[in-house]
Amino acid sequence: MAEAKRERRGSSWRQYKAILRKDIVMELRTFEMLTSMGLYTLLTLVIYQIALSQSGSGFDVRLIAAGLLWLAFVFTSMLGLNRSLVHEKDQGCLEALLLSPVDRPVIFFAKATGNLVFLLIVQVLTIPLFYVMFLSGRAIGGELWMIPLAMVVGSVGIAGVGTLLATISVNTRGRDFILAVLFVPIMYPLLLAAVGATSAAVLGNPGFVEEFWRDIALAGGYDAIMLLAAYGLYEFVVSA
Amino acid sequence: MLEGAFVDRKKLTYIMLAFAGIATLVGFLLAFFVAAPAQMLRTLDSGKGAIIGGGFVSNPIDFGQKIFYFHVPVAIASFAVFFFTAFYGVRFLMTRDRIYDTKSRIATEVTLIFVVLTMITGDLWTRWAWGVWWTWEPRLTTYFIMMLLVIGYFVLRASVEDEERRAVYAAAFGIIAFLDAPLSFAITRIVPAGSEAHPVVIGVPGGLDGSQLAAFLISMFGMIAFGYVIYQLRYREERAKERLEVLKTALED
Repeated sequence: MAEAKRERRGSSWRQYKAILRKDIVMELRTFEMLTSMGLYTLLTLVIYQIALSQSGSGFDVRLIAAGLLWLAFVFTSMLGLNRSLVHEKDQGCLEALLLSPVDRPVIFFAKATGNLVFLLIVQVLTIPLFYVMFLSGRAIGGELWMIPLAMVVGSVGIAGVGTLLATISVNTRGRDFILAVLFVPIMYPLLLAAVGATSAAVLGNPGFVEEFWRDIALAGGYDAIMLLAAYGLYEFVVSA
Repeated sequence: MLEGAFVDRKKLTYIMLAFAGIATLVGFLLAFFVAAPAQMLRTLDSGKGAIIGGGFVSNPIDFGQKIFYFHVPVAIASFAVFFFTAFYGVRFLMTRDRIYDTKSRIATEVTLIFVVLTMITGDLWTRWAWGVWWTWEPRLTTYFIMMLLVIGYFVLRASVEDEERRAVYAAAFGIIAFLDAPLSFAITRIVPAGSEAHPVVIGVPGGLDGSQLAAFLISMFGMIAFGYVIYQLRYREERAKERLEVLKTALED
């Protein structure tokens, strides 16, 4: 009896890997979510072009580049978060998961990691595209490696809290709308810090290194607190 | 039968109501008649005076500052009540007793009242003091986010049909929202390049002197008491409704 229990507890990691693998394999088979997210980002960039079309050639787009990048990213991630859970719900997979002896927090971490992976893949596509479309020919003031770092720290928070909020919103009427209504106010501090960090890196004004690390620390603090809260609450939310 | 024990706090409620009424009235009167006037921040470049009503006035007082004695107490009261949203949310998740869901919802309703009051008085104050209707200054931004969170809470509640699920989701979101508010406060202060337009009133050495502090504290306690009273009255109303429903169904049988 004790052995069986020990075995089950020890296999949390295996459960986690199994659920994560399921998500990734499913995505690799159809590429449905990645293509839709990628296309969505591309279309958002096109809309940016329309928005900036009247700004004239003297306009320094670097001033708002960080904001634009994160804006595109926020909209795409809201789309992706919802889709990752809609599948689960519609195919009855979530129910099956809940019936099996999997710890609820493991489900949270597995889904959050899956979402994080997809978000990062979308970023790998978005950042170069954004650079080519809007920033080519302009110098990046700060260090180049800072931008991906800021994106990753932000994505961790988005994936973690977003998974919790998406699990809530997928069970309501008006799914995407509810996710947006819940997502934006909760994410606001993280987005502010992330845009601050990215902007410091892009503009490279004097003192940008301290500013960058300060904002990364803030975003990291947000991530830690909110991930802990989401982890604690997920059990209740997913079994409701 | 009705779930959860109902502790009848009628007497306490009416005592608090009397206290709240007297405290806010006294605070209001103190604010206008006793509290030392605050210096007007906008003065001419000469540094000392301003042209008001066609004449030169030295040391003009900022009459609009008086709204502070109303604005900050309601803001503090809104935070105080918001805490109970999260607190009852936690209690609900721990016990699954529906009474805590009702309590949490009512606390959020009261929070919404105070939040709207804060936004209105704050908006009037920013228009008076800084000449603009809105600015993305740290405290205003945080408060705006808090208002969005409270509105989001009600939107979420309205969009879930199943009662048990609605209660769980609302509790979870209430807890996350309450955690988000101070985070928002901290981060909006640090990230943008240090905007310090908002008057700092509580700190070292502290911006308030004795008479102002008295008016402010009395107002603050009065508002918090008001929050308690509104919450209790609303809660009693909900319980009365529930009792009515139970009696109706009992009569039908």
